[in-house]
Amino acid sequence: MIRPSWGRWGGTRIATLALLAAALVGLWQSLRLESWGFDGPGPGFFPQLMAAICVALAVIVLVFPGQAQETEGGDTEESEASAEARRTFGIYIASFAVLAAGAMYAGFVATTLAFTIVIVRFAEKRSWLAAIGYGLACAAVGLVCFGWLLRVDLPEGPIERAFYSMVR
Amino acid sequence: MEALLGGFATTLTPENLFFCFVGVLLGTVVGILPGLGPLTTIAILLPITFKMEVTSAIIMLSGIYYGVAYGGTVTSVLMRIPGEASSVVTCLDGYEMARKGRAGAALGIAGIGSFVAGTVGVIGISFLSPPLAELVIKFGPAEYAMLMLAGLAMVTYMSSGSLPRALLMAAFGLLLGTIGSDPLNMTPRLTFGILALGDGVNLVPLAIGLFGLSEVLFMARQKPDDMKVLPPPSRLLGFMPSREEARRSVGPVARGTVMGFLVGLLPGGGAVLASFLSYGMERKLSKNPEEFGKGAVEGLAGPESANNAGTAGAFVPLLCMGIPANAVTALLLGAFIIHGVTPGPTILERQPQVFWGVVASMYIGNVMLLILNLPLIGLFVRILDIPRAYLTPMILAVCLIGVYSSSGNPADVVIAVIFGFVGYGLRRHGFDLGIVILAYVLGPIFERSVRQALAISDGDPTIFLHSTISTGFAIVAALLLIAGLWPRRLGRPTS
Repeated sequence: MIRPSWGRWGGTRIATLALLAAALVGLWQSLRLESWGFDGPGPGFFPQLMAAICVALAVIVLVFPGQAQETEGGDTEESEASAEARRTFGIYIASFAVLAAGAMYAGFVATTLAFTIVIVRFAEKRSWLAAIGYGLACAAVGLVCFGWLLRVDLPEGPIERAFYSMVR
Repeated sequence: MEALLGGFATTLTPENLFFCFVGVLLGTVVGILPGLGPLTTIAILLPITFKMEVTSAIIMLSGIYYGVAYGGTVTSVLMRIPGEASSVVTCLDGYEMARKGRAGAALGIAGIGSFVAGTVGVIGISFLSPPLAELVIKFGPAEYAMLMLAGLAMVTYMSSGSLPRALLMAAFGLLLGTIGSDPLNMTPRLTFGILALGDGVNLVPLAIGLFGLSEVLFMARQKPDDMKVLPPPSRLLGFMPSREEARRSVGPVARGTVMGFLVGLLPGGGAVLASFLSYGMERKLSKNPEEFGKGAVEGLAGPESANNAGTAGAFVPLLCMGIPANAVTALLLGAFIIHGVTPGPTILERQPQVFWGVVASMYIGNVMLLILNLPLIGLFVRILDIPRAYLTPMILAVCLIGVYSSSGNPADVVIAVIFGFVGYGLRRHGFDLGIVILAYVLGPIFERSVRQALAISDGDPTIFLHSTISTGFAIVAALLLIAGLWPRRLGRPTS
């Protein structure tokens, strides 16, 4: 089943509403700060000013959505995505969640392996062997070249700690 | 001229040539690889230089600095991952050129444009340093505030979307820049009690999220057939720009070089502002502005030149006034002082061999960068042959390394992912993300200047109109905003 797509201006307004909401939250937070002190403008002066301008501009764009930027104008056209395309896109979004959660808790190797499997196996439907093999290769290159040889900071989990204890 | 020749005599020793080569090579590698920024590399190598001769040490460290400017271009063109803020503009048309099978030409134009701009920038340093140093020193907080305002007004005016949309993106970027500690008294602001936001939203997760991760989402939406890019040329010199591309690049390179050098003189993100201004200017001057964002040669050549000329220009305030233009030049300043060199107005009298040695090494370093990079382009563009199934995990891994290593804070990866979604949503609906980055970079300088000026004047806003320089910038900003309200731009759809 193909879902009806939002119109171009509808999508713009939704994006603008999200910006308006963010600006209102910023304004609410910044109003708690001192805007003027004995020595001049305080810490709240600039955030309050910018948040208020942001709110005003978001309202203007809501009323007059205006001309989309030409640079990526093609992206503003909604396409009728197939169920398969939506599924692929959804899995890519899930891979982002794996990336974020893995960086917090699992370390570089496990995270890289996990999001690679999610993308290669589930989104792109390649074989398990390809997914696991490529994931291990990416993780190994990152860990050895960056983590060990170049001493770049990587998210650490049990695998990284065990590896570093062997080589360092 | 005699002093400059003396500088060449200093640099053209086998030892100094070697260190110059090591510097530009490291700079290029650092620019390409995620995780290792110029700041980290210079910081790591600084102790190694303690036992080196002072001129050799400074030549090598400077080589890293301007080598990075070129290296960052490679990831921007091939993967839409900006290595640094000044490479953001390169992503727009450089990446689109790569998708059309012109990755080699894009990197070739960037390399040659960077060489021309860097060399002209160094000539500028050689001959214009003393008078320019005197001019820049006249800039106070009010002048800086109005300059930043004029810069933002110009970029929003030159955006092809409607003015309210562009201004909204600028205000959003400025608001993002206020998250974290107050730059003047360290009061936490807009952190919602989240410790990870104490230092604010860092540039790396913001830029990588808005550009790199959002691109992965766009790739995921495309059909595999739409993803195909034309194969890169197989001939050894196939990466060179065509005659037509070379002809179209001449003007943008010349304009970008002059603008980049002048704007780069100003402390605080000069190279970033220069690249954005150059892009906007080229779009306005172009007979085919609709090509911008879809692989316009001018949209790559101008900003790349401006970026590199700005990098050279940043050496003027550093060498002649001891004022660093950014965090990297601040570290270079520290390196100078550690080695007993005191940058400032007297450097030309007291340590001319160091000043002119560094200037001469920059000429030679630019030639080395060109020789080093052009033959490697054919190798770099092979990345584009990788199918989406394998390219996107590689991009995610690069983003993960780049974001995490910039701060060692896993929360930054979460922030990058959030901005990946934000970037995807805004790009999809035609908002100009480049303005967000520019406003974010200039925001802290703009805020500090505004607050300092108002503190000096005891709250009197007319301080921004007291000097001729600040009044001039204010008038430019006002004119640009008024011009932007032209009916076509106010909000009327064109189709």
